[in-house]
Amino acid sequence: MPILDLGYRKWTGNRSREWMRWSVVARTGISLVWRGTWLKRFLLFASFPAVVTMFGVGLFEQSTRDEGYRMMFNQFLASRIEPVGPRNRARERSRDGFRNRQPIIPVSADPATQRHLAWSHMLLWYFRYPQALWIVVVIGLVAPRLISYDLRSRGYLLYLSRPLSPSSYVFGKACVLFFLLAMITTFPAIAVYSFGLLLSNDSAAFLQTWDIPFRILLSTAVLVLPTSAIALAFSSLTQESRFAAFAWFAVWIVGWVTYLVLTGSAMFNADDLVVLQQRWLLISPYHVLGHLQEEIFGLLPENQHQTAPWILCGAVSLVGFGVARWRVARMLKF
Amino acid sequence: MTGLLGPNGSGKSTFIKAVLGLVHVDSGTGTVLGKLWPKQVKSIRDQIGYLPEDDCYILGLQGVESVQMMARLSGLPTTEALRRAHEVLDFCDVGQERYRNVETYSTGMRQKLKFAQALVHDPQLIILDEPTTGLDPTQREEFLDRIHALAHRFEKSILLSTHILHDVQQVCDQVIILVRGQVRLVDSIANMQRPIQSGIQVRVVRDAVRLATTLRNHGLTVHCDSDTELLVEGETSVITKTIWAASKEQSVLVERMDEARNSLEHSFLEIVREKNYAYT
Repeated sequence: MPILDLGYRKWTGNRSREWMRWSVVARTGISLVWRGTWLKRFLLFASFPAVVTMFGVGLFEQSTRDEGYRMMFNQFLASRIEPVGPRNRARERSRDGFRNRQPIIPVSADPATQRHLAWSHMLLWYFRYPQALWIVVVIGLVAPRLISYDLRSRGYLLYLSRPLSPSSYVFGKACVLFFLLAMITTFPAIAVYSFGLLLSNDSAAFLQTWDIPFRILLSTAVLVLPTSAIALAFSSLTQESRFAAFAWFAVWIVGWVTYLVLTGSAMFNADDLVVLQQRWLLISPYHVLGHLQEEIFGLLPENQHQTAPWILCGAVSLVGFGVARWRVARMLKF
Repeated sequence: MTGLLGPNGSGKSTFIKAVLGLVHVDSGTGTVLGKLWPKQVKSIRDQIGYLPEDDCYILGLQGVESVQMMARLSGLPTTEALRRAHEVLDFCDVGQERYRNVETYSTGMRQKLKFAQALVHDPQLIILDEPTTGLDPTQREEFLDRIHALAHRFEKSILLSTHILHDVQQVCDQVIILVRGQVRLVDSIANMQRPIQSGIQVRVVRDAVRLATTLRNHGLTVHCDSDTELLVEGETSVITKTIWAASKEQSVLVERMDEARNSLEHSFLEIVREKNYAYT
């Protein structure tokens, strides 16, 4: 027996706007995934590459003042951007392949003038190599259950019985992924940029690099939108999250392996390599995103600009979110 | 307080989902809580508390978090939503179990939780779809008492969808009977339960046929459907003495006597079988 039972009481108060209710879906989703200790460990490990990039930025800023650091920086940057291997040796041997690329020797006589190029290279490396891998892993572990769990436990009925449309429900779920991916990419990249500004003694540093935060945001958007859309679409198509996880990893692995096999025939011929890379680019999600990021950071050779990856990126985002929305709306009929 | 009755597959849940705008409706308009339906369906949902028939929950959330989340989805500020969640869970008699994950709840606990979720934003209209499913008799009585209190003490409009006639009889004022997606009857419970003819329903241990024969010999009209039940027509005060006399004469043990009523169950079955009632 309760000591005090007030019974039911009426409630009066101001309610938040209807169009902001998706944020509850997002906050609930974030709160649920945040309970997993493994996710916190992943995010901790995912921050290590940012430390390496910060080290690179620090080294560059040091090299602008001290000539002794310049060679060290060149070696550091070259090892980050273009790992030594048969493909790169082939490029170096080629007539045009490597020459068309932006020079990775930014620290010359006047290193300060190369600041934008150097920072962009390092941030591109950060986005393209370590963080792309982390994104695949983290989304693969979190996204499959976002909608499929709700389909299994019919939790979507609870959400949608309130002023929430299937679209805003899907958007709320996508925001969980946006948040995690921002934790992996955007925030550390902005931190790297800010760190660079703080380390720089040159007052012109900001004027030289003011556009980099916008490039970081655009690069994040290009990474986040299609990947979240694909992951949510897979999650919405099944009540078994393991199937969605399998499909997610399969897309990346199959795309990557197929791309490598198809372009492998040009291993020692750089002319063929560039042509084949452009021809088969759309097969591999990883390489499509890498291509777009190179373009965003202004490091893609002029003759390699393509519209198709942008169109593919937009189409995948639209179709992915559309499928997820359609599935949720369809489940209401049963 | 209105009961929505109908056999399985009659369209009760679909009707509710249509009111909430959860399923597409080909045609038709209306007004719910003074708002245009289906144009303002989101605003309508904001004023409705819905207890779904389905077993639905958010995996990984505690009971109290689950109710708090529903309050926030209805626009309550975070802290206020938590306070209100505790208040409503107290009302629904959910104790310390509120701190357990919802997937560990029993069926009865989940029904209570869904009820709390439906109430947490203090809606004007509460729609309950099969709310007493899975509850034991004590819990069911308590649940119906709460529904009754909400309707009569707190002036909530309640739509109770069920196929359990007893629940409707116990708490509802009005009843709507749906059959194959069509409204077949709208009436008050009082009307549905008024005597169709004056008489007495008699239940005996055995030998109802023998007792019926004796009563007919006394000039009464008797309907005997089994060896234990019979309906005796006539003015109650007059025929009672005759029934006692006949039972004494035939040594038939009377177990129970009730005033004959057109029970809701009887009416419901009649309507479903399309015998007595035309479309209203």
